[in-house]
Amino acid sequence: MDLLADLGAIEPHVAALIILVVSGLMLAGMMVLRGRRGSAVAVRSLPAFRDLRNRIQDMAETGGTIHVAVGSGALDGQDSVISLGGLQTLEGIADATVAYGVPLLVTVGDPTLLVVCQDVLRRAHERRGLSGFYDPARVRYVAPSPPAYAAGAAYELSVEDASVSVLAGVFGAEASLIADAGSRRGLPQLAALANTQAIGALYGATDHLAVGEELFAAGAQMTEDRPQLVSLLVQDVLRVNLVVVTIIAAALALLGSLGAG
Amino acid sequence: MRSLVRRWLPTILFGTIPGLVVLFGYLLPIEGLSDLSGYFIDWAVILAGAALFLGIVNVMGVHGGRIRRRQAGWPYSLVLVLAAAGAAVPPLMQVLGFFGAGASGPEVWFEATRIMFAHVIVPVGAALGGLVAFTLALSGFRLLRERRSLWAVIFLIVAVITLLGTTPLAGPPGDLAGDIGMALAEARSWVMGTLAMPGMRGLLLGVALGTVVTALRVLATIERPHSES
Repeated sequence: MDLLADLGAIEPHVAALIILVVSGLMLAGMMVLRGRRGSAVAVRSLPAFRDLRNRIQDMAETGGTIHVAVGSGALDGQDSVISLGGLQTLEGIADATVAYGVPLLVTVGDPTLLVVCQDVLRRAHERRGLSGFYDPARVRYVAPSPPAYAAGAAYELSVEDASVSVLAGVFGAEASLIADAGSRRGLPQLAALANTQAIGALYGATDHLAVGEELFAAGAQMTEDRPQLVSLLVQDVLRVNLVVVTIIAAALALLGSLGAG
Repeated sequence: MRSLVRRWLPTILFGTIPGLVVLFGYLLPIEGLSDLSGYFIDWAVILAGAALFLGIVNVMGVHGGRIRRRQAGWPYSLVLVLAAAGAAVPPLMQVLGFFGAGASGPEVWFEATRIMFAHVIVPVGAALGGLVAFTLALSGFRLLRERRSLWAVIFLIVAVITLLGTTPLAGPPGDLAGDIGMALAEARSWVMGTLAMPGMRGLLLGVALGTVVTALRVLATIERPHSES
């Protein structure tokens, strides 16, 4: 019981530091083992996003537009990093669409995202030496309020005759308006979301849903960028350690309460 | 050297340094650092304002082009352009001081803007919000029709319990409707507190970890959303 009392008295920042140090040691160990084996970074698989590249390749032959909705999270707000996760996904899709000559339509609900999304598209064209084909109007700022953005993005999706719809970024329950427009057209729909309301709203409407931290994994799978894949590995190790600590803490709390009883 | 200046200097100057200053401005109680952090945040707000102007130019460009080319849905684009132009008049007049020779001039334009918000934008926004409830119900029906799995059934049962448990069905004790209402409310409370909350915490924990790792990548210039990698 003394041990339980001692563990309970650990300050939260000390506990966080211990978790970080243990995670760091685990990562260092994993890196050494990987270095010996020479294996590539393996992260959780999101087949829908991994296969999107093949789908885009097919669309080069069959025709059609890909619609990517990056949401209404501002880059200067509290959801900026979630929007960055959406931008990673967009970057992977933009690279593939430019490579295969498939039209891409991007809708954004915040003006700061407009500029960055246009830049992502421009750079994708530059990387392929196709700067002349870059059209900034393929990125569309729809509306500042989330419901108006969702309604406007649903309209753009219909008018532009999209063949695939991808939602990646900051969304709320209003994302169901975009998903509903896609469902009525029978489109394959993929979503990578962090907001629990949006996840609930889109569970029934999309074919493939990447939830929570999988938003960041979706971008990494699309771009296959090594720093992103390695950071996913870091995320996974931290998460496993947190889960283990949570289970141990719950077990100790249970033992403590039984002992007190 | 040229590559270093072109690729790294802007990233470090405009990304890493302001990012670290703002971060440490929150974490460390140093007065000068907090002030500097405040300046950077103010500049970000000004930049976001400039981006809004670009956004308006984008909206006008896209819909203007659609009207010129008589593309599908061009009448809607025309309505949008006219509505946007009309909505811009009162605030512009207020700022420029037109018709403001009399003392009541600016108040008239302010009132016009307020009426526009209160009687057009807010009701339309509320209507869209109401529409979300219908699209959610529709997606529930579609789920049952197109994806008949155990998870889909569980999802719908939980959704129905949560919805009904939120409605005010409670009646006097002993009354059947009241008892059912109470049971549903208790079931909802159990589902939300015991099943949904841990799942939501797990999700948020994952998102928080992803957020921290991505933010660290941006600060360490590994992730450069604003420049070529």
